[in-house]
Amino acid sequence: MQMNMVQAINDALRHEMKKDDRVVVLGEDVGKVGGVFRVTAGLYDEFGEDRVIDTPLSEGGIIGTAIGMALYGLLPVPEIQFSDFIFPAYDQIVSELAKFRYRSGGEYAAKLVIRTPVGGGIRGGLYHSQSPESLFMHVAGLKVVCPSNPHDAKGLLLASLRDPDPVLFFEPKRIYRAAKGDVPDGDYTVELSKAAIAREGRHVTVIAWGAMLYEAIAAATEAAKQGIECEVVDLRTLWPVDIETVIASVKKTGRVVVVHEAPKTCGFGAELVALINEKAFLHLEAPPMRVTGFDTPFPYTLEMEYLPLAHRILPAVIETAKF
Amino acid sequence: MVAPAAAPPLGHDSADPARDPDLVRALRDDGSLDPAHDPKVSDDLVLALHGQMVLVRLVDTRLAALQREGRVAFHIGASGEEAAIVGSAAALRASDWIFPSSREVGAALWRGLSLGSYLHHVFANAEDASKGRQTPEHFASKKAKVAPVGDLTGTHIPHAVGFAWAAKSRREELVVLVYFGEGATSSGDFHNGVNMAGVFKVPVVFFCRNNGWATSTPASKQTACASFAGKGVAYGVSGVRVDGGDLFAVLKATRDAVARAASGGGPTLIEAVTVAGRADPIARTRAWLDAKGLFSDAKHAALVENLEREIDVAIAAAERVAPPSRESIFDDVYAGGSNAAALPWHLREQRALLLATPPRTLPKPSTVE
Repeated sequence: MQMNMVQAINDALRHEMKKDDRVVVLGEDVGKVGGVFRVTAGLYDEFGEDRVIDTPLSEGGIIGTAIGMALYGLLPVPEIQFSDFIFPAYDQIVSELAKFRYRSGGEYAAKLVIRTPVGGGIRGGLYHSQSPESLFMHVAGLKVVCPSNPHDAKGLLLASLRDPDPVLFFEPKRIYRAAKGDVPDGDYTVELSKAAIAREGRHVTVIAWGAMLYEAIAAATEAAKQGIECEVVDLRTLWPVDIETVIASVKKTGRVVVVHEAPKTCGFGAELVALINEKAFLHLEAPPMRVTGFDTPFPYTLEMEYLPLAHRILPAVIETAKF
Repeated sequence: MVAPAAAPPLGHDSADPARDPDLVRALRDDGSLDPAHDPKVSDDLVLALHGQMVLVRLVDTRLAALQREGRVAFHIGASGEEAAIVGSAAALRASDWIFPSSREVGAALWRGLSLGSYLHHVFANAEDASKGRQTPEHFASKKAKVAPVGDLTGTHIPHAVGFAWAAKSRREELVVLVYFGEGATSSGDFHNGVNMAGVFKVPVVFFCRNNGWATSTPASKQTACASFAGKGVAYGVSGVRVDGGDLFAVLKATRDAVARAASGGGPTLIEAVTVAGRADPIARTRAWLDAKGLFSDAKHAALVENLEREIDVAIAAAERVAPPSRESIFDDVYAGGSNAAALPWHLREQRALLLATPPRTLPKPSTVE
């Protein structure tokens, strides 16, 4: 069935809530109105207020109580309305959620899937546009996922719900409704930590995820007109990353450009480039490049200047190819 | 309910009820009980709770000495707070859970954590339930319905709320008792947790031990509120102040709060005042036993001798156990336990690197003052 991202994620939640009565959804405005982006629309009517909970405006309280629910044996899926709002809950995620299994020697575990819209391009300004994914990859014990299309969104969310470890599920809000595609009915998963080759090529590897995947593909299409064939890797799961697919592609092309919306410094691109240097240095024909958001707060009026869109990716691809 | 304006200054030594009319006391100085606050417990239970308090005191004394000798890294202790800790734990039913902070091992032991298991944890050896990953006093026991203690102040308060809330949503009758010191009431997590509990009428009991000090910070620097129990007012959560050195008053207040939570009446915030310098809670309980002719110096000597022997055996057993294996560092970061093949690639690589490096001799734990 043709769906957009919002519908696919909604379908995955509904599917798993029917199948597994431990699944509960909680967050600000997720119940009666179905969330500010309508991702949880209809779930309150279908599953009732015990399983779809409108909470007070308290991100720390949402994640903190969700951890308690998970310790009891439920499978909470808290929504943080914008990933920019996640920081009041950061302590609970870093200090508690990520460490429960470890510090109890495996006796206790807190399994959550935290859903949260991510990224810019919706005229959201400083506090509705950020991409904080690397802040969670730096924390041992978490998994980080970011789908780029409706098929993967449903399959990755179902896989995240069935994975035993806590998952941060970042939903690229710029393509919530713009990305459409065929979504199978019923049950299927997209395995975590498996990247996808979105476009095959032999000259330059372009690594991207989420909304920036489409910018990478647009740049690749332009580059092809100049005889540069890009291989575009959609990571899908950011951490633990599918290192085999990344390294295999880089060994094939010898050239790599990493694209992300988050600021450059200590962004995931830095880790990817370090891993590529460690594992494929002698295969490299050019210095790995990063095309990213700037090391500034996320701007409002000038957001399209900030984002690493195709017009910024293309010159990097050409420079890398010609090095 | 507490009327905050009428309460006395924070940290006030409330031994004199005339100076602190909101403080609930049951046990009088002569060892008799105020009938209005008598929990009506059996002699056997009081004897058992007295024995438990003595055990906690002896363990504290011993572990403080071992810390000075450098044989354990850290001990926090609960001196003067034994009645608050043990009395509240005794008010719970078998179905109930506790979410302790680091001072309440007495509650965990009462609920069934074994002394041996606790000491393996204190020595952080291979038998430690946390596999040597946590500093002492961060015990846990699923069997005893004791949630794992974390290091941070107040972060467990919303966990307790979520746990009790989940049970309520599943129509399972259980109440969660969450312990914290008065310093934790300044944390955002206290606000988050108590607010959620009030809104959703969660069956949880907040048990605040007010001993007057959070490390070096006096209670008067934690809040301008006239009492800690009074903080519940803003959340629609009932508060009660109880003499934390009074085993009977603590037991009754906690039992009432548990009954209220279990019957759908919502949460209660109990402030147990345990300010230092007050009469020893063990001596006060002993006065009740003496008044009833249930105890004697000879019985006390025999009790101490038996408990000391138990402690000796447990310490010796714990000290004999080796530290956890080097490669166990990588277990339980993600699911999969000690199965190295289940590790994600980056941890598999790092584990191999560790094992390829010659082992460093493990030093004795350093002393933390």
